[in-house]
Amino acid sequence: MKYCSKCTYPIIAVNLTMSDEGVCSGCIVNEEKLKLDWAGREREFQELLLSYKNKDGKNYDCIIPVSGGKDSHYQVWYVKEKMGLNPLLVTYYTHNYTKTGEENLKNIGKVFGVDHYVFTPSYKTIQKMNRAGFKKTGDMSWHFHNGMNTTPFQVAVKLNIPLVIYGEHGFVDLAGQFNFEDRPEFTARHRKEHALRGYDWYDFVGLEGLTEQDLLWAQYPSDEEIAKVGVRGVFMGLYVYWDGNKNAEDMSIKFGFKPNPEPFERTYRLTSNVDDIHENGIKDYLKFVKFGYGRCTDHTSKDIRLGNMDREEGIGLVRKYDHVIPRKSFEYFMDMTGMKEEEFFTTADTFRDSRVWWIENGEWFKDNLWGEPSSYGKVHLPKDAWSKYIRAK
Amino acid sequence: MLRPRLIPVLLYKDGILVRSKSFSFHQSTGDPVEQVVRFTEWKSDELIYLDISRDNLYNSDQGMSTVGSTSSKREHEAYHTENFASVVKAIAKQCNIPLTVGGKIRTLEDVQIRLKNGADKVSINSMAFERPEFITEAAEKFGTQCIVASVDVKLDETTNRHEVYISNGKVATGLNPVTWCRRLEELGAGEILLQSIDRDGGAKGYDLTLIKKVTEAVSIPVIALGGVGNNQHFVEGLEAGASAVAAANIFHFTEQSVIKVKEYLSSVGVHVRL
Repeated sequence: MKYCSKCTYPIIAVNLTMSDEGVCSGCIVNEEKLKLDWAGREREFQELLLSYKNKDGKNYDCIIPVSGGKDSHYQVWYVKEKMGLNPLLVTYYTHNYTKTGEENLKNIGKVFGVDHYVFTPSYKTIQKMNRAGFKKTGDMSWHFHNGMNTTPFQVAVKLNIPLVIYGEHGFVDLAGQFNFEDRPEFTARHRKEHALRGYDWYDFVGLEGLTEQDLLWAQYPSDEEIAKVGVRGVFMGLYVYWDGNKNAEDMSIKFGFKPNPEPFERTYRLTSNVDDIHENGIKDYLKFVKFGYGRCTDHTSKDIRLGNMDREEGIGLVRKYDHVIPRKSFEYFMDMTGMKEEEFFTTADTFRDSRVWWIENGEWFKDNLWGEPSSYGKVHLPKDAWSKYIRAK
Repeated sequence: MLRPRLIPVLLYKDGILVRSKSFSFHQSTGDPVEQVVRFTEWKSDELIYLDISRDNLYNSDQGMSTVGSTSSKREHEAYHTENFASVVKAIAKQCNIPLTVGGKIRTLEDVQIRLKNGADKVSINSMAFERPEFITEAAEKFGTQCIVASVDVKLDETTNRHEVYISNGKVATGLNPVTWCRRLEELGAGEILLQSIDRDGGAKGYDLTLIKKVTEAVSIPVIALGGVGNNQHFVEGLEAGASAVAAANIFHFTEQSVIKVKEYLSSVGVHVRL
């Protein structure tokens, strides 16, 4: 495995590419980020926002999809307090919220005095989607990705609100997937291919007894509906300089945003991914199972680029956190789905990427950022599926 | 009268589609097939699909590129095999508009494989320089209409002279693009895909001088490529003499992008097919 020479990402990281000099697209794009004319971009964003302001006051000016986290607080503050628009907040509520996440979600509507549309699918459906998502895509939170990328657009089309404002563009920030100059916007393709990992609601019909009617909330509007309202989804982080750490600090001092009260099992950052119990939990552990890296690689890469730590320190943290099985979220998932431990680990093993993992003496091995390959425990996969993981010596 | 064509270009590199800058920095835009579906739905006039893979890795188990759509799948899509033909087949299946496929074409058999798997035209670049009669042979065997000569040009800023480059824009040929395009026409090329290397990914507009010079010198259609950053740039390309205006990056990043560009062109009096 090749690793970026500046941060901690392996080349296989989702949506990442590497230059011939061995620097990842995330680091290259981040360097560009530092050189941009942010004052000019912010003016551009403000003009865009104001052009969507309702003249007659008969509708909301825009939609802000919120999870309740630090960036949600910042977006609402910016659009409502700073720019004086009247946004409608939209949340896909997952039943998987942490206690702090719930408090933050309630806080946001309260402190900023805005209307908040919270959509919750039936608990039964979410139980089924957790199981089905895990078995089909290796990600129990697939329904969550779908909800946060679908509900805002269903609402936009129904209520005739053409502007949807997301915060940071995650793939630009982490993987340098796009250029700031391109100002990528939300598209149906982005939703399905990147946000939903290439699956859509219809791939789940029939699994765990799910019907089309169970999944009405998961269906993205048609091209015609989007065109009729003129819906546009923009990413604020491409126009306004984004510093998640600073947003967390500002929003917690002034507006009562709460970071996670206790250390996470899989990363050192307390202010990111606070809302959903699986975000820093087993959903992320499965990323490690698939590709051999986890949330701590994401966070250290970000912090190295921001100058908050050097690469050595980052490597130390990755070594400490990336492989950890998060018991709390693991047990929550087992309890919700009634799955047994052996079934979980056997299913998880079927998603191991053979470009990362190999089998030696019945154990999973992979290369490491700090050098020598090492074992990451016993193989649960049945022996007849081992062949693609056996490497020639 | 022939209507001006609007043509999106997709760049395929080592298993994924990429955004390109200056022919050297490539960022993932995703799955090799999904965007073809969208461009067809958005009524593009044609599609140009170029293979710019650096090595001959078409099997995702060997390459390291990961796209969202394969990241959570146990098995890779069937078109990730040992060769590019299976990719052509997969995209041609989704593509209901004329499809030009280019990249790494060195023999008549290479042409035949692409056409057999669903391409309507092929674009030929480096091989035309290495062995010009290859263009004639290909045109005689498969017909002039399906041979597009692809020409990559760099502007030397100090001398203000244009020069033709080959091999992914890496090797200078010493050729003047006007002379070279005339020669390609004589050899039997049906169209010219004229791409500016220094404009690639810069969003500053086409190299209009280059387009003017070449279109005045040849009578076959010229497709302009490289540098589009806004809708007006397409208009400029057509005014400079191009029969078709092509772009890669700009179409990736907004919803129903091709439809919106066509609406714009139509609103300023360009008679595109809506």
